[in-house]
Amino acid sequence: MKQTALSFVGLSCLRFSQRCGWFDCSRQNPGSFWSKSINSGLPITFVLMSAILALVLLPASASIAAEHVIRMSAEEVAAYDDGLGNKLLGYKMLSHTVDGNDITGRYSPYATIPGPTLFLTEGDTVKLTIENEISDGFDEITDVDHHLGKISNQVSVHVHGVHYKIVSDGTLKVINQLEDQGAGVGPENTFHYYTYEWDVALGTAGTWPYHDHNYETHNGAEHKGLYGAIIVDSVGAPQYAKEYVLYLTDDSFWGMEIDGVTKIQSKHGSNPGLSAARGSDVRFHVIPLGTDLHEFVLDSYRWSDPGTRRRIDRAVIGPLEKHVFAVRANRSAYYRDKNFTNDLMGVRGLFEVR
Amino acid sequence: MPVGFSIPGRPLLGAAAKALPGTSRNYSFTASTVGAFLYHGDNGKERLGLFGALIVDNKDPRPLDHYVDDDGAIVPVTQDNLDKQYVLFMVDSTFWGTEISADGATQRPLWANPTPGAVLGEIVRFHVLSIGPGHTFHIHAHRWLKEGTDKVIDTRILTDGFDTHSFTVKAGSGVGAGDWQFHCHLIAHMEAGMHGNFKVVEAGGDGSAIVGASPYGRILLGPEDVPGVVTFEVSDEPASWFRSARGDAIVGLPFDIKTKSLEVIAPGSSVNFTMSDTNAVHTISSLLWPSGAEHMPFDQSAAYKGGGFVTLHTPGLYVFTCKVHPYMFGAVIVDDPSTEGLDLGNPAQDYTIDLVTGIRDLPTNSDLAIRLLTTFFVATAPDNWQDYSSGVWNVTFPSLPVRISGAPRSEALTDGGVAAPLSILNVVNAALPAPNPPSIPGIGEVWVNAQFEKTANKTKPGTITVLDAGDWKVKRKIALPAINRETGAMLHNIKVGETPSHVLTLPTNDQIVVAINGQNGMAMIDAGASEVNRITPTQPHGHKSAHPHGHWVSADGTRIVTPNINTDDVGIYSADGAIQSRTATGNNLPGAHPIAIGMMPDDSKIYASNLLHHTVSVVNGHTGDLVKTIDLIENYHPITGEIDGPVGVLPIQIPVSPDGKAVVVANTGGQIIVIDTETDTIVKMFECDPGCHGANFGAKAGGGYYAYVTSKFSNRMFVVDIDPNGDGNIEDVAIAGTVSLVADDETLRDDGIVGMAGMGGQGVLAIPNVYNGWVQKLPSNFKESLTAAQLNPGQ
Repeated sequence: MKQTALSFVGLSCLRFSQRCGWFDCSRQNPGSFWSKSINSGLPITFVLMSAILALVLLPASASIAAEHVIRMSAEEVAAYDDGLGNKLLGYKMLSHTVDGNDITGRYSPYATIPGPTLFLTEGDTVKLTIENEISDGFDEITDVDHHLGKISNQVSVHVHGVHYKIVSDGTLKVINQLEDQGAGVGPENTFHYYTYEWDVALGTAGTWPYHDHNYETHNGAEHKGLYGAIIVDSVGAPQYAKEYVLYLTDDSFWGMEIDGVTKIQSKHGSNPGLSAARGSDVRFHVIPLGTDLHEFVLDSYRWSDPGTRRRIDRAVIGPLEKHVFAVRANRSAYYRDKNFTNDLMGVRGLFEVR
Repeated sequence: MPVGFSIPGRPLLGAAAKALPGTSRNYSFTASTVGAFLYHGDNGKERLGLFGALIVDNKDPRPLDHYVDDDGAIVPVTQDNLDKQYVLFMVDSTFWGTEISADGATQRPLWANPTPGAVLGEIVRFHVLSIGPGHTFHIHAHRWLKEGTDKVIDTRILTDGFDTHSFTVKAGSGVGAGDWQFHCHLIAHMEAGMHGNFKVVEAGGDGSAIVGASPYGRILLGPEDVPGVVTFEVSDEPASWFRSARGDAIVGLPFDIKTKSLEVIAPGSSVNFTMSDTNAVHTISSLLWPSGAEHMPFDQSAAYKGGGFVTLHTPGLYVFTCKVHPYMFGAVIVDDPSTEGLDLGNPAQDYTIDLVTGIRDLPTNSDLAIRLLTTFFVATAPDNWQDYSSGVWNVTFPSLPVRISGAPRSEALTDGGVAAPLSILNVVNAALPAPNPPSIPGIGEVWVNAQFEKTANKTKPGTITVLDAGDWKVKRKIALPAINRETGAMLHNIKVGETPSHVLTLPTNDQIVVAINGQNGMAMIDAGASEVNRITPTQPHGHKSAHPHGHWVSADGTRIVTPNINTDDVGIYSADGAIQSRTATGNNLPGAHPIAIGMMPDDSKIYASNLLHHTVSVVNGHTGDLVKTIDLIENYHPITGEIDGPVGVLPIQIPVSPDGKAVVVANTGGQIIVIDTETDTIVKMFECDPGCHGANFGAKAGGGYYAYVTSKFSNRMFVVDIDPNGDGNIEDVAIAGTVSLVADDETLRDDGIVGMAGMGGQGVLAIPNVYNGWVQKLPSNFKESLTAAQLNPGQ
């Protein structure tokens, strides 16, 4: 399969459900083909999209449940350098179609932290293909010392909350006992992509994290930026004017603002300033990630503790829990973490109501 | 040891009283609430195993819980619906499990990091209980209800202290069979090995659990032929920083083992670490291991509270340390029990070891390997330290035969390796000279952190030992946190963050800058304030915590320079904390571990000691550019041990003399190295004591400077005169004398000294502070005792 047309990659993803075709990234021609094709935009995307569209349209299913076909990459984010050449990593949306309709435009064209927020509805299905664009993933696989202690040159997407079979766990074989389920270096130094299938079944409504589980170790590189959120609503759930995804890490919030109607995603990054129109209803999705436990506060606001009738003004939460709440925007305030060190370090951002 | 019984959050009759050894106590309570409760021994040793679960069943037909079915239905569960229950304790960074039958009638221990199992569709109730630092519990691909709500979750916090969380799942609901990982979702705990699998098998399969690592298994003296586990308690106790939970018993064995930090296990058994006897944050990091060993190196990306769990398969010696406290050592020998002698290296590779600094296949009969081994046995056994008040030094190594690289020494061995008892390395009655103080006094006082000295009225060791530099007597011992310099009265006890290391003031405005060694920033305290004003990060958001250690401040007060132990770089920050530059010090090799900074009086150059690379990085004080790397072991041959010039092993504190002439480096390996700043070359080496550590300059009476150097595993201080004849040339640098750190009858004290007298010399501070920038601001009474040159060292 390795010498066949590119469209086979896309085709095999769908037809053979879980795994993309093994794809020799040709050590003789290391990666250049991919990076050129993808960076220059059209050729590979175009071919893939054609293939995907063709297949998606073929069955013409009568189901109202939407079928999401998503391609994302994991990349180094050049702007986030620690001064020593170490980069943070981010997920980037390459393409997202819903029942064949392209909604890629709602996402940033760049790799972001957090990664793209995926809006799903109970009953939907997702086929998500991850591509590894971290050069380190395969250029230096023979450099043993450089990879001291690293057991993987893959990246993956491990999702919480929704249904998936064990082949879509997004973990390494040492965990799932089956196979390495990520994109990057596979057996015999081949380079390949990986496709996950999620069943956004009834009972999975909620906000859930997704994150890498494979990069360098079996714990993955979630703490280096490879994380994002899916927001699963039930059919007919209330809509909000704005949605804010706020990952709360050991030294910063990393968030984004999403327009409730267009779902256009903006203001990505560290301790982002968020905006809302006065009187509008907005929803916060707070997910900690890292090693610290936190106390989240939105100054001067109170909200319903999810699932209870309690009104609260703070939430004690730990890594990969989620705290989702809605407020009516009526005054500007800081959102912040009251964890001792983070509070003194200024881990907060402005929620600006105009 | 008295043992009590406590159920956090539940009133208990008789709870105040504990049972003394050989006696019993009765406690009673009413089982009024359905659910899981944690009980523990209430004696400070809970995390070593004195914990259990109390599960109150609901025997009436009302549901006790709900599970989420394949189709999203919330299905009520009664006691009779349960197919099985699992108890999983989250303790530090290890799971301890128990399997309980459906009717609750039978249970079996699953020990450490087990594999609970179930057949697809079975109704399984989990009781997750925690003691100690908090966690979040997550199982892949399973969902359940948050207690008391209809909210579906898959991750649940267990807060610091004691916490419980019970929930019910239908095994594989909506997702099918598989090895579904469960783990704590705190990054550091994941990295420390806090995970296992929930094994869901297809209908007709065997859904029983697989037992984890048992303390009765294959460990030294273990009775059962199953995978075993040993436990190290991470402690602040001098020498026993990684203390085997059965360290007292091991010391009592007839093998002359003086350390409590050594364990022996069989291949396939595991090591458990619990940070249960310390207030600090730590890492559990491997320093060396048998060449090519599986699961090595073991490490975490930042310091934390918790523990660790690692299974070791490859025979040989494994040494663990804490990156924040690199004098803490614990060793595990994984030994093939069928051969003579304990394996110190990988038998498949001629008993060689690998080091975290990138050295591979080091023969265990090399001088370097033996030095590392002796360092371990000296550092972890106070019996092997140098007590200068006793006059003799003895070092006792275990009488156990070990296998190291090289040709077989014993006739009985045919497959390589030397089997000889370690005790051939013993040091017997070596003479220790009495301290011999300098003839010329110093100015003021020298404050020494005698970190291991024990006193009567506090549980943690450590005194401030104040020397009078006028007569070299120990003037005062301050044990309790009460450190007003004049009166000993407590001014403020200021919380700054996890595991602070060094403290400096800015010469411009007396703002205090504290390096938060266990975290990712520097705490700033305004002059005279009693709380932290702000913490400035030492790295950009999202990046690996730098863990700054022994920082320095430029004489003009504009820059703070930190050695970042976790990211192997020197960071330069503006006085307000902005990152100006970061410079890697490892020359592309891992694990340099820059740990302390010295700076020229005109701020032109920065000197950083790289503890594990045995190098000094010279960095441009303005641009941050790396100017030079001085190799302190260039003259040392690691295999033969030949030395043909000055050598400094494990360099640590590294002050530059206030006049900018000399850099004095204390080397933990037992040397003092002097570097000439004009050429940035080594001009002299002096022998120091084991664990040579602290170094700082003070003024010499009549002009010039003394460097004061202390050692962790001895109780005397060296005084180095960088220019005895005062001609401005440091070629004649010499040891001016040695000073005892042991209190005498006249020493003022605020607490009785009960052990480790004068031991643990770590930080040193001369008062007055005569460095450029600070000396100009001294009160007049201090200035009167200094020469004109000492008052203006920048000139």
